[in-house]
Amino acid sequence: MSVSAHSQSIASPAIRLRPAPSLRRWTEREAVFSWLMVTPPVLFLCALVGYPFFYGIWLSLEDRPVARAGQFVGLANFTADWHDPVFWQVAQNTFVYTFAATILKMVGGLALALVMNQDFRFKNLTRAVMLLPFIVPTVLSTISWMWILDPAFSPINWFLIHLNIANPGPSWLGNAKLAMGSLIVVNTWRGLPFYAITLLAGLQTISPELYEAATIDGASALARFRYVTLPLLKPVIFIVTMFSVIFTFADFQLVYVLTRGGPANATHLFATYAFDVAMGGGQLGMGASIALAMLPPLALIIIALAVYMRPARS
Amino acid sequence: MTNIIRSASRRDVLKITALAGAGAMFDGALGHAAPNSMSMMHENSFIPAYDAYFKNTLAPAYEKATGIKIIYETVSVGSLQTRITTVAETGSGPEMTLTFFNWPFLFDEKLVDVSDIAEEIGKKGGGWHESAKEAVIVNGKWKAIPFGNVGQLMNYRMDWFAEAGFKQFPDTWDELLEAGTRLKKAGHPFGFELGHGFGDNHGWLYPLLWSYGGREVEPDGKTVAIDSDETARATDFCRKFYQQTMFEDVLGWTDPSNNKAFLSEQISCTNNAESILYVAMKDFPDIGKVTGQAQNPRGPKGRFHILAPWSHAIFTHAQDVKAAKDFLVWLMDPKQVGGWYEVAVSYYGPFLHMYDDAPLWHIEPRNLPYRESLATSHLPGWPAPIGRQQSESVAKYVVVDMFAKACAGKSTKEVIADANAQLKQIFKSA
Repeated sequence: MSVSAHSQSIASPAIRLRPAPSLRRWTEREAVFSWLMVTPPVLFLCALVGYPFFYGIWLSLEDRPVARAGQFVGLANFTADWHDPVFWQVAQNTFVYTFAATILKMVGGLALALVMNQDFRFKNLTRAVMLLPFIVPTVLSTISWMWILDPAFSPINWFLIHLNIANPGPSWLGNAKLAMGSLIVVNTWRGLPFYAITLLAGLQTISPELYEAATIDGASALARFRYVTLPLLKPVIFIVTMFSVIFTFADFQLVYVLTRGGPANATHLFATYAFDVAMGGGQLGMGASIALAMLPPLALIIIALAVYMRPARS
Repeated sequence: MTNIIRSASRRDVLKITALAGAGAMFDGALGHAAPNSMSMMHENSFIPAYDAYFKNTLAPAYEKATGIKIIYETVSVGSLQTRITTVAETGSGPEMTLTFFNWPFLFDEKLVDVSDIAEEIGKKGGGWHESAKEAVIVNGKWKAIPFGNVGQLMNYRMDWFAEAGFKQFPDTWDELLEAGTRLKKAGHPFGFELGHGFGDNHGWLYPLLWSYGGREVEPDGKTVAIDSDETARATDFCRKFYQQTMFEDVLGWTDPSNNKAFLSEQISCTNNAESILYVAMKDFPDIGKVTGQAQNPRGPKGRFHILAPWSHAIFTHAQDVKAAKDFLVWLMDPKQVGGWYEVAVSYYGPFLHMYDDAPLWHIEPRNLPYRESLATSHLPGWPAPIGRQQSESVAKYVVVDMFAKACAGKSTKEVIADANAQLKQIFKSA
């Protein structure tokens, strides 16, 4: 009893000596401080992402011709999309484009990263050069591709014709199937460095001791890749694939510069079709509904990726 | 150099501020405060001298005469509609803008009724061409002042056509098919855009449809009429025309493609504005000498062209509508607009009858077919009254893709059914 009384008598003056709990102490509390740090970006996101997003949802529920007041129509725009054959073609195109380009970028990027992870002369220079397709503004590099894919000027066609493989050379953007293939190749070319550099960063975090241990245990190069590299790289592959899927799914620039969705909608993607309908056709509501239609499949892909590629819990 | 520019612009700023201040005081005394400046939005012209003429001659002249500075705001090719959409939706930005195609119908409610000055300008200019009225009169009101038509006509190699036995450009589509068949065999195929460009595709495919008697919608503006024997005949012709005279790449072409192909001597005929001849004369004189231009061929139901009007409109958010109207009246006065037309030769074919035989048509006599084509030019959607639905149809490439799919191998019945379904959905609300 006396001890506690004594301890109290010591504690009380100490509290009195210090200033009252100040604003500073309040802000230093973790719960407060974290919110203080998080609030500005959240407000920023609300203004620049949240507001347009909810405005987009609102627009998609309206019959909203450009420069005219909208009229609430519920899900009528989505019903119209459902019955629009071009919409389904666009959906199919977007899936094919995203799937093919992502696989190519993933495999190619991983291969490139593995090569870049070796020691060789001019390693740093090569790594820098490798980033070029990613650094050059897409519109500029796409214009170069426009020439490469023009049958009259294409170096590929020149080779094909001079090696007597094909004459006339293929029409890269005029043939529906080849046009989609060409766009996938150009997208892969542009996105490969992003995969390669990110995976390279991931590779460099893997401790060499693990490889040494595996080698001592008699693991072949393939086994080392399969049982050491791949599992440790999985989280990085997941992140980079998620980013890539989002950007590829919503791609606009490549298609807009190269084909504008032609021939006969064979290369129209959600973003380009939504843009044409909203801006060219002046149907903002319908355009918004097409753009929003990207959301559910994109969310499903991301969830599927998250489930499938989730780092193993041990 | 930088310093000189900087000091010059500082001096200019001081001068403008002083002038504007003096002007404001003067106007204040008179009770009407004219704006210090107004902006006019334009798409970059492919003829640099045309934009320069406005900036260096017209704008300074207007400022000297009235004290009002006119800012000429240019946007890159292909992005004007997006920019107008932003300005119209937000109600802020330039007071005046250039409009294309049927945009006065699309932005109708955000554009000022300029019927009064249209009548005044028309009277002074010998009257308006009928096609000008089709382009800008929305519900009986002029929503823009027509400026010029960028016609889309046949561009061809006179030398190669002569070699194939055609001294004159073929008068009908069937004769053109025959010429093209021979020329393709001789290694000089045709190249007409069938892809998703802005204008060179619509430029010949709508006229082709009309010349066979086909149409998207009846004149009542509601009844979809694409599913007809006339459309089927036009589609069958187009498929044959493509197969016998062209190559696969045209299906994926955008607007620059045919210019590039013509100027690199890959094709002997295409449908385009005067720009091919203009560039050829400037940069490829040998090709320029042998390039001819002609009106579109006739079909069973006549000869048609696409109407591609450039007009000037005033936004309703303009603070001083009268000042903007005064400027447009001044701009369209022959003393001003005459010089502006001439720097572009006849690329922007005037809509006023007083220019029907103006010197600008005689600078390059090969441009004369563009003048003749005005009488048979219509906007996409004709003969239905023009409205918003046509923009949706054009943006969805309904007519272009109908033909393109047929060329790529689908049956006529199938492609017409697709177009019919799309148009029915678009015109459902009409």
